[in-house]
Amino acid sequence: MLDGGDDAAVPDGHAIEAGCAPAGPLLSLFSVAKEFPGVRALAGVDFDLRRGEVHAVCGENGAGKSTLMKVISGVHAPTTGRIVYKGVERRFASPLEAEAAGIAMIHQELNLVAHLTVAENIFLGREPRRGFLIDRRALRSKARACLDRLGAAIDPDAPVRTLPVAQCQLVEIAKALSLDAELLIMDEPTSSLTEQEARQLFRVIRDLKAAGVGIVYISHRLDEMREIVDRVTVLRDGRHVSTDDFAATSVDQIVARMVGRALDEKFPERTSVPTGHVILEATGLTRAGAFRDVSFTLRRGEILGFAGLMGAGRTEVARAIFGADPLESGTVAIDGRPLAIRDPRDAIAAGLAYLSEDRKAQGLAVKMPVDANLTLANLAAVANRLGLIDAGRHAAAARSYVDRLGIKTPSLRQPVRLLSGGNQQKIIIGKWLFRDARVMLFDEPTRGIDVGAKLAIYTIMDQLAARGIGVVLISSELPEILGMTDRVAVFHRGRLVRILDTARTDQEEIMHYASGFGGEG
Amino acid sequence: MPAGLNPSVAAPRGRLSDRQKDLIQKFAALGSLVALVAAFSLTSPAFLSLGNGMSIGLQVTSIALLGIGATVVIIAGGIDLSVGSVLALSGVVAALCVKEAGLPVPLAMLAGIAVGGVCGLVNGLVVTRLKLPPFIATLGMMLIARGLALQITGARAVSGLGESFGALGNGALLRIVRIGDDGFPEVLFPGIPYPVLLMAGLALAVAFLLRRSVLGRHVYAVGSNAEAARLSGVAVNRVVTLTYVLSGLLAGLTGCVLMSRLVTAQPNEGVMYELDAIASAVIGGTSLAGGIGTISGTVIGAFVIGILRNGLNMNGVSAFTQQIIIGLVILLTVWIDQLRNRR
Repeated sequence: MLDGGDDAAVPDGHAIEAGCAPAGPLLSLFSVAKEFPGVRALAGVDFDLRRGEVHAVCGENGAGKSTLMKVISGVHAPTTGRIVYKGVERRFASPLEAEAAGIAMIHQELNLVAHLTVAENIFLGREPRRGFLIDRRALRSKARACLDRLGAAIDPDAPVRTLPVAQCQLVEIAKALSLDAELLIMDEPTSSLTEQEARQLFRVIRDLKAAGVGIVYISHRLDEMREIVDRVTVLRDGRHVSTDDFAATSVDQIVARMVGRALDEKFPERTSVPTGHVILEATGLTRAGAFRDVSFTLRRGEILGFAGLMGAGRTEVARAIFGADPLESGTVAIDGRPLAIRDPRDAIAAGLAYLSEDRKAQGLAVKMPVDANLTLANLAAVANRLGLIDAGRHAAAARSYVDRLGIKTPSLRQPVRLLSGGNQQKIIIGKWLFRDARVMLFDEPTRGIDVGAKLAIYTIMDQLAARGIGVVLISSELPEILGMTDRVAVFHRGRLVRILDTARTDQEEIMHYASGFGGEG
Repeated sequence: MPAGLNPSVAAPRGRLSDRQKDLIQKFAALGSLVALVAAFSLTSPAFLSLGNGMSIGLQVTSIALLGIGATVVIIAGGIDLSVGSVLALSGVVAALCVKEAGLPVPLAMLAGIAVGGVCGLVNGLVVTRLKLPPFIATLGMMLIARGLALQITGARAVSGLGESFGALGNGALLRIVRIGDDGFPEVLFPGIPYPVLLMAGLALAVAFLLRRSVLGRHVYAVGSNAEAARLSGVAVNRVVTLTYVLSGLLAGLTGCVLMSRLVTAQPNEGVMYELDAIASAVIGGTSLAGGIGTISGTVIGAFVIGILRNGLNMNGVSAFTQQIIIGLVILLTVWIDQLRNRR
């Protein structure tokens, strides 16, 4: 299945560079590719890291940053390509092996054991011992030293579960420092830190640089990079786009390279035109820690995009409107009538539908067949007054949506987990069409769906809008937002910063607002 | 087109569909049932007689009644460990209603069944409102109901209930009795015992509800994916609570039937019956992960357990060895079930 051609593509010339170890880079990747079943996450990426350098890696969600980091830290073995570390070609079989070689990773999602203390977490698996007992005194003093280096006022004996997230992040960093790594990978290390804590972290990073440690730095916050970053590499769609000295480039240039200029995918001609009738109006939607003061309107026949980086609060807003998660304040009105939405049943009764980004976990009863999933939200329509399902009407309803949406399935009784992602998505759409939904909130509807099926989903969305349904499209793929929507609401850190007219904007402008520039004001 | 871009196309081909696998599983259970009957008929001549068939039917009734409740609870993603204790509490309440309060037998038994329903309601509310894991919630109820049953009877059997209390458990439909020449009654046809009729009727009714009603469909949906069901507008908490109420009501009914058969209410009756109930559901193909299961499978499972016990008894196998064998059968069937669900 994997084409062997990539091996031949490795340029032999690089081997000479790798030979002169002490002066050469700390780490070099040559044409590294990584394929997962059906997905090419990395397609031949070159990358190198010098000693005492901070090298930033930028890219949109899904550009391959995480995969690249996982290849370096030994989580994934590359499908093809070579990794040269300290002048020797290596192939790490596990993160442990990479760690032993001096490569440590600070994870974005916290990998701490909540019920153990800070000190125990920092030295988990490497506890200082006396015989077969843990040397508690040494454990505590060594942990103290690591935390002091970060300037973190954290009690080494405190259980991790009692710490706020920012301090957990600091513990995670202390853990990586305790390894005395020569190569550190930092994945969004400042995402939950305060300004002051971030400054302290940057001081530590400068110390590490001076000590000759090489650091791979991933962050969406381009603004903070100029403090520490030496070079920046941009990835897009699993490919290497550029590597530059940070001083010689600009944020705008980086953003332009991240999003690319050409629209790679094909979108159907939009046939629907938004009417003047406002079908959904959200005012001042707020939930502490998730989103704040979000207001927008949606018209009949309109497709409104929600753009923003991961964690910007788009999904949270949609789920709250649908009643899946609580709303602390703010109102949602349909056709001008305010709704009291306590749970999804209220929202569904009002004509709302939410199509989750996680189809298998939240959208489908995967063990149940196609027909049962299609009718699940509206069984009353095929049942009699006693609550008994009429088998004939049930099958006819399911059959009609299978036909109308072009769902490819061997039978109505096929369990949905055996269908492809595109067909599963169509079943969820069918479920809400059968329920006569008037507002549909699509959350990443084409994630993990192949190109042909994407076009089918886009066409269906356009037809829904043409029928007068109001559509919200949450998407991390900007071409999709630009290709399908009438207007774009851009989110940054829980706020709706700007609503743009799709016809008069571009990827650069959207990314600009999504990255937090010129937004809040 | 690049290879491997669309893996879903190739996957189902050349493999049995789930429906076919389900049928095979069901026929496997049914086949082993037939094999058991054949084997025991050969080894013990008394096995294949009308009288023994009746007694197997009666033995299986309590397992099957509890098993029906267990199946519905498990399909919805829960578990009910309390039914053995609840049946004891219901039975002694019915008996005390007759003996102490002087209620007529049918009313007393309805009261007993209602007590079972209340126990189930409490289970359901503890699971859905207090959000305790079903295992813990019903474990608590198992101890509480048993304790109550022992408390209100002073741990003594309630007897002297009168003949009418035994009618439900010992009566039969279409019993043909002839008064012989010697003046003693002679049973020509023992009839179909009421408990067996009750079990058959309830099994059909619950199977119909699961298959055909909106509620039944919601039970499967909640067990298959509670979050997807919630986001589709299913009242998940209500559905889950109802499954425990049904299980409690059936436990109450089983308690009345069992006590009626003995015409004595034993607060110690039904210990560990919940395990037989769960075992019958599991042998019948119900998945403990939820979302999958049928009443017909459970009834077959109940017969497998009942016939194994009866046949092994008639072959003089000790009670200890019987436990070992039934334990092995449970392991074997669940292992087969896992094989079926893998991939």
